[in-house]
Amino acid sequence: MNTSFLLFALLNPLFALLAAPLYMALIRKIKAYAQGRKGPRLFQVYYDLKKLMKKETVYSPTSSWVMRFTPYLNLSTLLVCSLFVPLVFVPEPAGGLGNIIVFLYLLALERFFTALGGLDAGSAFGGMGSSRSMSLAAVIEPTMVISFAALAFVLKSLNLHEMFALTAGKILPISPTLVLVSISLFIILIVETGRLPVDNPATHLELTMINEAMILEQAGKNLALLELAHALKQLLLMGILINTILPVGLSTEIDAGKIAVSTLLFLVKAGLLAVIIGLFESSLAKMRLFRLPAFYVMAFFFSAITILIEVFA
Amino acid sequence: MLEALMYGAVAALVSGTVLPLLYRSKNIRKTSFGLSILSSILLLGFAGMIFYTGKEPVFPVIGFLPGLDFTLSADRLAAGFILLIAAVVPGVSIYSIEYVEHSRSEARKSLQTALINLFILSMLMVMLAGNMVGFLIFWEIMSLSSLLLVMHDYSSEENKKAGFFYFVMTNVSTAFLFVGFISLFRLTGSADFGPLEYPAADLALPFIFLFTGFGVKAGLVPFHKWLPYAHPAAPSSVSALMSGVMLKVAVYGFLRFLLSVSSPELWWGVLILTAGSLSALFGVIYALKENDIKRLLAYSSIENIGIIFTGIGLYTIFKVEGLESLALLSLVGACFHAFNHALFKSLLFLCAGSVVHATGTRKIEAFGGLVKSMPATSVLFMIGSVSIAALPPANGFAGELLLYQAFFQSFSVTDPLLTVFLIIALSSFALTGALAAALFVKLFGITCLALPRSEKSKLAEEVQKPMLIGPAVPAALCILGGLFSKQLLSLAGWEIEFPDLLLLGLLLGLIYAALFLIIRSKETVPARISETWGCGIPTLAPYMEYSSAGFSEPLVMIFKSVYRTKIENSAEYFDEQESLFKKGKVEIRLLRFFEEYLYIPPAKAIDIVSKYVSGLQNGKLDSYVLYAFIAVIVLIIATGGFV
Repeated sequence: MNTSFLLFALLNPLFALLAAPLYMALIRKIKAYAQGRKGPRLFQVYYDLKKLMKKETVYSPTSSWVMRFTPYLNLSTLLVCSLFVPLVFVPEPAGGLGNIIVFLYLLALERFFTALGGLDAGSAFGGMGSSRSMSLAAVIEPTMVISFAALAFVLKSLNLHEMFALTAGKILPISPTLVLVSISLFIILIVETGRLPVDNPATHLELTMINEAMILEQAGKNLALLELAHALKQLLLMGILINTILPVGLSTEIDAGKIAVSTLLFLVKAGLLAVIIGLFESSLAKMRLFRLPAFYVMAFFFSAITILIEVFA
Repeated sequence: MLEALMYGAVAALVSGTVLPLLYRSKNIRKTSFGLSILSSILLLGFAGMIFYTGKEPVFPVIGFLPGLDFTLSADRLAAGFILLIAAVVPGVSIYSIEYVEHSRSEARKSLQTALINLFILSMLMVMLAGNMVGFLIFWEIMSLSSLLLVMHDYSSEENKKAGFFYFVMTNVSTAFLFVGFISLFRLTGSADFGPLEYPAADLALPFIFLFTGFGVKAGLVPFHKWLPYAHPAAPSSVSALMSGVMLKVAVYGFLRFLLSVSSPELWWGVLILTAGSLSALFGVIYALKENDIKRLLAYSSIENIGIIFTGIGLYTIFKVEGLESLALLSLVGACFHAFNHALFKSLLFLCAGSVVHATGTRKIEAFGGLVKSMPATSVLFMIGSVSIAALPPANGFAGELLLYQAFFQSFSVTDPLLTVFLIIALSSFALTGALAAALFVKLFGITCLALPRSEKSKLAEEVQKPMLIGPAVPAALCILGGLFSKQLLSLAGWEIEFPDLLLLGLLLGLIYAALFLIIRSKETVPARISETWGCGIPTLAPYMEYSSAGFSEPLVMIFKSVYRTKIENSAEYFDEQESLFKKGKVEIRLLRFFEEYLYIPPAKAIDIVSKYVSGLQNGKLDSYVLYAFIAVIVLIIATGGFV
């Protein structure tokens, strides 16, 4: 373990944890503007989390240790994940942290326990959410794997840190095919964070809920942990997309000035992406559950074509 | 030294087989299982030393038939698979000490004990066999002893059918192996397993036959149908051994052949990879729909065998393409996954046995709430589910990670068609992994969580100690095998770039502990217990929960073309305009595709042929003498005796 990575291991999770709720709120705000409303304050999600932390936790008598275990595990998993995606600067890789497949399967670990937590209370809503979430996750998985394989192939490494060390410092993506991969990554971001047209994060209607249904029985601190984990997941996926398509300013050196520039630029770029996501969500209606595989195929196509172009170009 | 360990293990297993046949008492059965545990400890030393040092033991040659000797040998490949036996057997044996006592009569208890020991012994001997003759003899003993174990509860009609199905399929497998080995023997003139430095075209015939033969035994699609029949019939400890070890014996046999071939062809790899991917995908898709816990696990075994063959297929392709390091990566991935599957599948079958014993049913819809009534079994079940769903840092993930790494780096092959093929195989591999996660959320969630769905499940009680300690052994190995996967791989001498899962596990554990402590220390208001929200209905009832069928419904809808449900409807009306409905019938049934199109037609053909042949069996001695005479004449002509 080198000093560069140790510093990274301190800064990156801290930054991710602090910045993640901001973008949840920003997307809500953009959506509100698009609908002609004023929307919540930019720091509303922080206030919500603070409030939840103070509230009592309520458990169903039906529930078991699974429901109590899940929120802590989810946030710990996502915090480990935040060691995989460089946001503030790109460290020298260490101990295989940054392996893209491990990253994918850490997300699967989080999903697995969220789904079990949904079934634990015995409510029909939770079961419905778990069932839909696991089914859709299964269908998106080939797309995710192929997209990440394409990314790994273009950037010639399995390690996210090595990949982004290659793109860092450039203004534009180093290969035109990365634009194609980015389209896939954007769709994956939408699917994984449960946004329209896949899932509607603003509703509590049984016809449309997926992610919200699984955490319906969670309350208080546990809910706060789950919300924070969800926000963190969104930020990390945004980070991968941003580092791929717009790596400008990303630093590879441990230098206070450069890291500050890199972090500030990331905040701006992520803000830009959040605006795009908000507008994207506002312009689409929710798709029928069984139409979704067709939406995923689009992302699959872009990634597969990337690999083919890279192999034969 | 090495030889002595092996003789000791064999002696322990032989006495474990013979003793319960001579004396029927509980203590003898305990001793017998103790002996099988002892044998696996000896085998651990034996195989571990061969595997680590690469030094091979020397065994005496025993004359068997003129020109055919009976030899034993153990190289690193065999040692690796013997380690697999040594890892699975202790857990199963501890479990069985209590589990066999649930059998109906004293005789059956002792018989089951003896047969389990014989079964383990035969599997060990298949791996130790030095040539084809020994291999086939022990292969048959293995098949027959497992058949008797499957038929253990022979009084039920369903089990008789399952036993018969298994008997036919296992003989089909042996028949293919015989032809495969004989054609190899004709080519090389020797029954030994040696390097096969022949052009691939000459080896095509043995390859096809051996691949089919071992594929039937391993449960590759479309030869997989015996698994979902045999497993529900067999006692759970036997299922654990069959799924954990016996399927791997078939994998071992196939690898023994494939690795000795110096120059395979590309289409071999493509064929193996296709069969592997399809088995993995179909296995998990069928498992999703299953409502019988043991049948579900059987389908899941088909899936995992598919993953192993995916790795073997990749190995072959990379070897042909000259990518040595990727070939090694895939082969290690396949073998490591075989090892891991042996552990978590035996764990899951043992847990399923406990659950079935406690509730008296195999239907998943009837379980529920076991996390409260059977807490220890549920934790073990959870460890198995996390491992098999390939979640880090458990061992299931480690094996699949190796294969993913091989896939991700495989796009450097320059054949355009091959690249497209690999992209498709990778997507199917990813889909399989995610579907397996969904499957085990369903299995664990419906079985252990929420309210009990039936009276039987409500009355379930935790099982006795041996049935908890038994599965705890593979459960511990699953966790350790995952955490120390990098260290194990480098200990085995493979230089493979692999992330340190121990570091990952430690980080997860530490962050979890830190979070937990911080949040708990800030806790000001105690937690409250309050009813699950049921849309205003005062008390939650089990029938409101999500069911097993309900859980898999979205995936069944998405993959409905695979399930091939047939909807047949007919209606009668009072009037000609068809507006006044009189009566009607709608029927939805699952088309058993492989059975109806692949198994039944040849079975019917055999039925017709045997009707004619049975006419020859008239029971008269003189006609039998005539048959023998005709046979001799035909043989003389065929061998050219008259020329």
